[in-house]
Amino acid sequence: MDSVIKTYDIAKVFNPGMPDQIKAVTDISIEIERGGITVLKGPSGSGKTSLLSLIGCMSRPTSGRIIVNGKDVAKLPERFLTGIRRSTFGFVFQHFNLISGISVIENIMLPLYPSDIKLSSIRKRVESIMENLGISGKKDFSVQRLSGGEQQRVAIARSLINEPEVILADEPTAHLDSKLSEDLKDIFVTLQKEGKTIIIATHDPIIHEGGFAGRVIEMRDGMVKEVTVE
Amino acid sequence: MEKHKKILEYAISSLLRRTYRNLAVIVVFSFMVAVLSSVLFLTHSFKVEALNVLSDAPELIVQRISGGRHDLIPADYMKKIKEIFGVGEVIPRFWGYYYDRMTDSNYTLMGIDKNMRGLELLDGRMPTDSGECAIGKGVSDVRSAGIGGKMYLINSRGRVIAFKVVGVFTSGSNILTNDLVLLTKDSVKTFFGMPSGMATDIIVEVNNDYEEPFVISKIKELLPDTRPIMKREIIRTYDTVFSWRSGMILIMFFGALTAFCILAWDKATGLSDGERQEIGILKAIGWETSDILELKFWEGIVISLTSFLSGLILAYVHVFFFGASVFSPVLKGWSVLFPQFRLMPYISLYQVFIILFFTVVPYVASTIIPSWRAAITEPDSVMRG
Ligand SMILES: Nc1ncnc2c1ncn2[C@@H]1O[C@H](COP(=O)(O)OP(=O)(O)OP(=O)(O)O)[C@@H](O)[C@H]1O
Ligand SMILES: [Mg+2]
Repeated sequence: MDSVIKTYDIAKVFNPGMPDQIKAVTDISIEIERGGITVLKGPSGSGKTSLLSLIGCMSRPTSGRIIVNGKDVAKLPERFLTGIRRSTFGFVFQHFNLISGISVIENIMLPLYPSDIKLSSIRKRVESIMENLGISGKKDFSVQRLSGGEQQRVAIARSLINEPEVILADEPTAHLDSKLSEDLKDIFVTLQKEGKTIIIATHDPIIHEGGFAGRVIEMRDGMVKEVTVE
Repeated sequence: MEKHKKILEYAISSLLRRTYRNLAVIVVFSFMVAVLSSVLFLTHSFKVEALNVLSDAPELIVQRISGGRHDLIPADYMKKIKEIFGVGEVIPRFWGYYYDRMTDSNYTLMGIDKNMRGLELLDGRMPTDSGECAIGKGVSDVRSAGIGGKMYLINSRGRVIAFKVVGVFTSGSNILTNDLVLLTKDSVKTFFGMPSGMATDIIVEVNNDYEEPFVISKIKELLPDTRPIMKREIIRTYDTVFSWRSGMILIMFFGALTAFCILAWDKATGLSDGERQEIGILKAIGWETSDILELKFWEGIVISLTSFLSGLILAYVHVFFFGASVFSPVLKGWSVLFPQFRLMPYISLYQVFIILFFTVVPYVASTIIPSWRAAITEPDSVMRG
């Protein structure tokens, strides 16, 4: 299998040595298939977000190794991780994390501000992405005035702007009804066809049931309980 | 280049998002800069003016002291001074102060002599006849008297005397000409009722500067009731007075500075959760720590330069157009000394630089440092909102 990411016994311990020490992730070894859709499922508190954050270089493991495109990133200092995040990953956060007070289009362009790409060409790129996601009418809205589903799409558009290889989405259906959730699945399928690798953390059956994902990793108490391959 | 432009643009749009908060910062900040700059502009201009005046002033003036006060000096003192080795010309001066009740201001009435320096006529000529006068711009303004007009002054016997205005001095030339009414020597004497054979003080020209101390001690020896005043000493006195005045205002400045420090401290001690969250988001979507620092740098620069410039302009207008009217309670002394006086704008670049350095740099630092701490940490927390 051609894998984008491989983990070897990674663990994440919060507040180590303190009375409130928490093992959020315990010795997980998994592989993420390039160009596939992988779903992390499990009950609340089982460590899905923590694992996603480790895979996406948002935090570093307490122990273990993480290989991203053949490179061990587990021990890299934060300043190198930024570069990897920028070039490899697009994030769709559980709480969207859009910046309020600026327009939709600015939010989507934001990841490319610290680059030498001209604003006008960024704008063009954004417009075509918004077109594909069906939100081009909301370009100049400020994000607070969007519905949950629209905010979700803006967040997806922002994750796509730097043309990442891997898209990480945390509970993407949490704010959507079942119709919008189905639409979202279509979006992910389209992205997969374009060659993106997609990793979704969710406990929503609409996502992890019915053969949408190529691979479902079930988590329990910070550990992998079962891996199902379609 | 393109990158820095976009980050700067985003910095500005970020600032505009928190309009009221940033506006408050700018107002406090500008006010502080304005107070500080006003003090410095004011004292600096006074100093330059004073030195201008003094550069035209005689090197050595001899006054007579009687009962501890400045009194008229007998003209025959001149002969004794003239005999001292190293003394050049010895010239008597005739002048006095005049309080004008009508305009509530003070004038200096002075008798003309050929050796006067630093008088620039704006218009007209010097008085030659006992019924004529030339006046300073300040006097001309308060009395609305121009050339050809009349100045009515009440003499020491209570009689109103009319002088024809034949000349007006430029306002810019210096502080002293502003409140000056120049008459002929004889009319000053009769106006103040000075007994004949008396002068107000005596100018002593010393041929060589290094002989000055010797001449002074000789004058004191020969004429124990006199006080020789060196120009250098006057400059020193001016200096201390100026420092004292600016000291008073500096107290006001420190009030403003305290307010500013509280503000800066508030910023330095903690970012709001919103700001921390935003830094996390930017990092998570691929901004480098250096990009975030650049963003914060621009934010700090925009705020502090805006405040600096508006504070500077405010101070300039305040000092040079409104005669530092806000400070006038503290500066009461000046307004009596220099009624209706509009200062000439003298600005020292060095001082402007000092103000720039002590306001912009700490502010920018207080913007960057806390953000830097937030920016070097892992952005993991944004995953959980
Ligand atoms: N920064 C942190 N400090 C301390 N404990 C944390 C931190 N982040 C997560 N945890 C703990 O780690 C465990 C796993 O949390 P995580 O968010 O990964 O679960 P999750 O599966 O994503 O849950 P949910 O479905 O509710 O999002 C939880 O017990 C949580 O309280
Ligand atoms: Mg979660």
